[in-house]
Amino acid sequence: MTMPENLLCSKSHEYLSDNGDNTFTVGLTDYAVEQLGDIVFLELPEEGSEFKKGDTFATIESVKAASEIYMPISGKIIDINNSAVESPEILNEDSFEKGWLVKIEPTGDVESEQADLLEYEDYKEELE
Amino acid sequence: MTKETFLHDKHIALGAKMVDFAGWEMPVQYSSIIEEHKNVRENVGLFDVSHMGEVFVRGKDSVDFLNSIVPQDISKLSYEKAVYCQLTNKQGGLIDDLIIYKLGILEYLVICNASRIDEDLNWMVRNSKGFDVKIDNQSHNYSLLAVQGPKADVLMRKLGLSDYQESFTIKPETIAGIKLLVSRTGYTGEDGYEILVENKNSEYLWDKILDEGKEFDIKPIGLGARDTLRLEAALHLYGNDLDENTTPVEAGLSWSIPKDKKDDYNGKSVIEDQLHNGTTKKLVGLRMLDKSIARHEYEVYYNGDKVGVITSGAPSPTLGANIALAYVKNNKEICTGTIVQVMIREKLHDAEVVKRPFIQKRNKVKLL
Repeated sequence: MTMPENLLCSKSHEYLSDNGDNTFTVGLTDYAVEQLGDIVFLELPEEGSEFKKGDTFATIESVKAASEIYMPISGKIIDINNSAVESPEILNEDSFEKGWLVKIEPTGDVESEQADLLEYEDYKEELE
Repeated sequence: MTKETFLHDKHIALGAKMVDFAGWEMPVQYSSIIEEHKNVRENVGLFDVSHMGEVFVRGKDSVDFLNSIVPQDISKLSYEKAVYCQLTNKQGGLIDDLIIYKLGILEYLVICNASRIDEDLNWMVRNSKGFDVKIDNQSHNYSLLAVQGPKADVLMRKLGLSDYQESFTIKPETIAGIKLLVSRTGYTGEDGYEILVENKNSEYLWDKILDEGKEFDIKPIGLGARDTLRLEAALHLYGNDLDENTTPVEAGLSWSIPKDKKDDYNGKSVIEDQLHNGTTKKLVGLRMLDKSIARHEYEVYYNGDKVGVITSGAPSPTLGANIALAYVKNNKEICTGTIVQVMIREKLHDAEVVKRPFIQKRNKVKLL
């Protein structure tokens, strides 16, 4: 598993990775999937749909419970990870490279919306 | 403050993820719920269920007292046998579900749910007026371990179980020098044993079982897999599938109620009426027809009308499908094979009504 560069994390355990071409990849952190345990179901939004920062855009279910996933910044969905929908257990193996969730084009002010996101190292530290 | 069992340190050392359950800090999983679930179906698993309650009932009127609080006929329970029972209120609603064991001529053991110990005790004490009985809650002195799975019997023999034990029996045993009460019961749908041990010996016994069980691929199993195992076997979970407003007849437990019991018990008139004339709601098993998962409290629809509610739902690792228990209107059209819908995040998803249990159970439940 390779960690993407330019990674920011939310306190609700989503990550936002800057692809460098005005698109971002959104997923769940390794800590989040470890806490969830066996992931058995994933529902992602349709391409083209738009969400505001903080909106629920996806649902993930472990054996025990369903959880909502929130948008770390406002954006339009430009790609979804269909193999993660088909085989949600890949998130347990690797939630960064194989188990990303959606790619987005930002629709808000990226800089100000990123203000409350944490660098991965700081996020890890907050968990301890 | 949450309570800890005497095996708490063992769970931490095994890397368990701990959660609060009925006021107890319990292991929900050690490795993976699905892996642990499969290990119980294929090999054997060890559970710490010390949070459950152990209440001893002794005295001259033990039989009459117990007979007045459960629909089952305790006068027919013979020495060293066990019976699945329900503690009912005056309206026939379920205060708890229990297993009652006969330990001696005038001595019974009642195993109750952790979340219901206080209610059960209050109810038993209130209902014991006029009976010569002693109700002795020993929950704090005992740990309860469960060894479940197709290899449970061979492991228990290796550990030194002296005698053959039939399903739904209990016997005093000495294993590795420790005095125990061993019953052939469980909550997984598999063959297996439950072992009552004094707290001071629980850690030694836990290690001993894991150690001797290595050759049978034993694993410690958390409450997460316990829940999916019991759901596949369609065993009820109090608080989800059973409550004080639900009778045993509505809960699909009529099979456990004798039709000819002479003694009166709490809720008898309601229960007998329901046995003869039917109920307005009934418990059914559902199998989801897509990948969605029905969860506790989701609504059930039929022909566009709301007809019921999900009480338990989860993926079934054995079936590779998602299953659920639901209470629905006792409508003749809703029967095995009927397609109903479950409302999940504002969308309706098809589910088929299927027979309970969802899997073939491998333990035998004996009627009295």
